[in-house]
Amino acid sequence: MKKILRDTCILAALMILCVFLISIIWSGLTSEIMLVIKLFGLALILSSINFFIDEVSTLSILSSYIVKYFAVTAIVMLYGFIVGWFFTSNFWMAFIYVGVVAVLGYFLDSFKTKKDVEFINKKIESRKAAKGSV
Amino acid sequence: MRIEKRQVKDRPLTVIVEYPEWNSSVERLIDKISKADLTFTGKADDRTVSIGISDIYYIENVERKIFLYTDKEVFRYDRSMTDIESVVSGTELVRISRTCIMNTAHLKEIRQIRNSHLEAVMDNEEKLIVSRKYLPDIKRIFKGENV
Repeated sequence: MKKILRDTCILAALMILCVFLISIIWSGLTSEIMLVIKLFGLALILSSINFFIDEVSTLSILSSYIVKYFAVTAIVMLYGFIVGWFFTSNFWMAFIYVGVVAVLGYFLDSFKTKKDVEFINKKIESRKAAKGSV
Repeated sequence: MRIEKRQVKDRPLTVIVEYPEWNSSVERLIDKISKADLTFTGKADDRTVSIGISDIYYIENVERKIFLYTDKEVFRYDRSMTDIESVVSGTELVRISRTCIMNTAHLKEIRQIRNSHLEAVMDNEEKLIVSRKYLPDIKRIFKGENV
């Protein structure tokens, strides 16, 4: 199931890329294509920030998500003002957009961490049992 | 694959690999066996000591100085973390934070402590902080995949 989902995501990404490349060749840089390019730029900046926070900090899951939430919101707001997504009247929307992603990410991450820890501890237990039986 | 074991007294540990033809599986096996016998030359006070990879509990970078920790002793080591990481790849040693490489062979348990911090408890009861970023690498070791 995991493999099917991963392959679906990869295939979808390739299809989107092909469609956009053909659209660029066919009709040039339209506003829709520019939006995707801007989103790609934002994703690149956010991934770099995410990597940097994970690399330098040893924060707990909750603390790291709080730090990331504020850092990402600040970047989204700044980027939004630069590319014209946000105005002084609606900049607060960045808090909501980032908040929804952060909450989902936090729960997924916590669940995955818990599962990984359980898996490792189970393997250690079976290693101990195997050593004991030798 | 047939495995034969026999005790031969007064001789060093010897592994003989017989293969019908050389292929990537044989190469991987030999690489794994060679890495099991890796040694590090550490320094403590005025003495230089050869430490087997299986005796190492963890390796830590403290203010750009590398230290090797065994069950009860600490040794200074004159190489960088990046060098060590490339040497120990494919062994049971894995990076668990920016400054620490742990030997999973001595890992007793991983705990989620207050505020969801992760802590590795070694079999000598020493505790190390694990960065969540490296948890998948530890998992890969236990899955039997080389990192």
